[in-house]
Amino acid sequence: MVMAAFVVMVGLAYMLPARPAEAASSASLSIVPKKNYVIEPGESVNDKLTIRNLDPVQPLELNLRIIDFTFTDDGGTPKLMLAQDAPQTTWSLKPFMKVPESVTIPPNSSKTLDMSVEIPANHGAGSYYSAILYSSGPPGEGGNVGLSASGVTLVFTSIPGQVNENLVIEKFGAYTKATANKKAGYVFMTADEPQLLAYTLKNNGNVTEAPVGSITLKDLFGKERTITDINPNGSLALIGQSRTFTSCIEVESANVDFNGASSPTKSCKSPGLWPGYYTATLEAYYGQNGNRTQELVKTANFWYLPWWFVIAFIIALAIASYYVWKIVHAIRRKFGIQSKRTPRRK
Amino acid sequence: MHHKLVRAHSRVHGWRHIFSEELLAMLLVVFIFASPVAAATRFQDRGLIMQSATPGATTAYTLKFGYVTPAAVGSVDMLFCDDPIPYNPCVAPAGLDVSNAVLSNQSGETGFSIATKTPNHIVLSRAPTPIFSSASSYTLSNVVNPTQTEKAFSVRLRSHASTDATGPQINFGSVRAQVTTDITLETQVPPMLVFCVAGEVEDNCEDTSGINYSDMGQLSSQSTLQAQSQMAVGTNASGGFAITANGDPLSAGTNVIDAPTTPTLSQPGTNQFGINLVANNAPSVGNDPEGMWQNAIPSPDYGIPNQFKYVPGDVVAFSPDVSLMKKFTVSYIVNSSENLRAGVYTTTITYIASGRF
Repeated sequence: MVMAAFVVMVGLAYMLPARPAEAASSASLSIVPKKNYVIEPGESVNDKLTIRNLDPVQPLELNLRIIDFTFTDDGGTPKLMLAQDAPQTTWSLKPFMKVPESVTIPPNSSKTLDMSVEIPANHGAGSYYSAILYSSGPPGEGGNVGLSASGVTLVFTSIPGQVNENLVIEKFGAYTKATANKKAGYVFMTADEPQLLAYTLKNNGNVTEAPVGSITLKDLFGKERTITDINPNGSLALIGQSRTFTSCIEVESANVDFNGASSPTKSCKSPGLWPGYYTATLEAYYGQNGNRTQELVKTANFWYLPWWFVIAFIIALAIASYYVWKIVHAIRRKFGIQSKRTPRRK
Repeated sequence: MHHKLVRAHSRVHGWRHIFSEELLAMLLVVFIFASPVAAATRFQDRGLIMQSATPGATTAYTLKFGYVTPAAVGSVDMLFCDDPIPYNPCVAPAGLDVSNAVLSNQSGETGFSIATKTPNHIVLSRAPTPIFSSASSYTLSNVVNPTQTEKAFSVRLRSHASTDATGPQINFGSVRAQVTTDITLETQVPPMLVFCVAGEVEDNCEDTSGINYSDMGQLSSQSTLQAQSQMAVGTNASGGFAITANGDPLSAGTNVIDAPTTPTLSQPGTNQFGINLVANNAPSVGNDPEGMWQNAIPSPDYGIPNQFKYVPGDVVAFSPDVSLMKKFTVSYIVNSSENLRAGVYTTTITYIASGRF
């Protein structure tokens, strides 16, 4: 009897639709991805947040919340602390930042919200950062998997003064980008032409850091090329992070149209490297205004050996070996030299 | 003990021609003198204090550094460039002007006056005098700040025995600083991040299907339930974007359909909930990303055909730099075992798009 009831219950559960369907909020938005401020203690900044609803039919209902974040890995992806009871970080901007709690934006229009960051007088120097989370309304009722879209604006504030800065080089060398099925990483020997050089810096200080400087790449014959901008995107190493900064060996710049505005882009192009052994030298500088400028120097090497070159080299080596053997053989024959082979024991 | 010494002597005796006195002397010279000279030629504790960091403002710069070599110094060369590396070509920071600078204060090694000045170059000069005070500072008033806030600028420093900054350098080194402004200038194109999620979306996010849920049908231990949704994303921010997937796996009350934490093939008859962002043929669901921008890609773990994974908070797609609109199709699969507890299994997946730092 119990078993029969269970079977009926299972059957009903499987046959019934998961949830009845109803109308939903828009899940299509445009936001500012990042804000940067420099604020003296005792001063404040009043700024605007412009949010656009791209949906032509549904209004966009957003709840705004300030959350903390840290780093995910050695890249620039933030790890968002979404839990309501997440502990406040030591670099949190939460106590100093104000944003509205919610906003509704009509279809196909935008709204500008007021936001402010106020730093108390006598507050110590350093870097502080948090994020503004825009959560769209709940998904429509229905189905097993509900979908919801949210956006995040990262907010960085620098309070000038004497700070603790300490970057340490962990790695430096040729680097391959992540692809859809391969993780990014350093390479010492590669068959594909390297397009990127990278360096990983550990930030042991109490401020975010964006190093500048140059990389000199030298081939086996001493021919040099210089990468004059080693941090083209102005990327940051967060507090405590081991951050990998990448630079194209050869950059291609262009302007593209994005939502009606012209925006500059940079991408890597083939640097035209010849196969062989390369030496790269990094000279990086860092130091906030008014603080000591510090320098990091590191040298790295890598091999670029494309398959065609390896095969051609082996063939050339085999041919050279054959001719050397022939010459040696000819000389021995001419001078009547017998090869020294141990006679077999009978 | 005596035997050991005799044995050691007999071994080392054979090397006496290799480690000759001349060779040892040369090694001493290299290690004792050559290395410290190379390291000591840099000024120590270098820094630049800008009285105002506002772009284009007329202000005062205080350059601080420590002389290392006690040799007589007659001039200090200050070259203002974008790049701090001494041997690279110097590009003057846009907007910077030190041609009207005045040496208003000096401490430590003093007695200098401005000998020559151009918009990005100053030479301080004095009668050559040996160094007595290491830490020194020089304040230049009436300096016009650079105007570019997006990049740092540098001052390349060199000291010379001559009074006109010619001949061999004694110490060298660079300092860096950056002009900053509180609020982004209105004339600049503001960075934007455009993002949408729905059953189906247009590349530019200006039209969506309006359905933001997926009904996957009835669970069965014999087959795989599947569904798909789409999201489009683009940004003109130089740091690119990242999309994370957040929310618990499918659950009914306390019963949860587990999600593999590494990319795994779909296995009917087991409890399994997973997603990926590429076209699959086992089961046949999903599409490869659409859009011409190659730098916007699914994360490697979510970009393997026929392999599925779901870890809340994982980055599922990203771009390391500017990426125009790109459309991703998310495939969902659910498998269930025969002994899965009855119930209505649901979840809400929140996709969060953020900029990168």
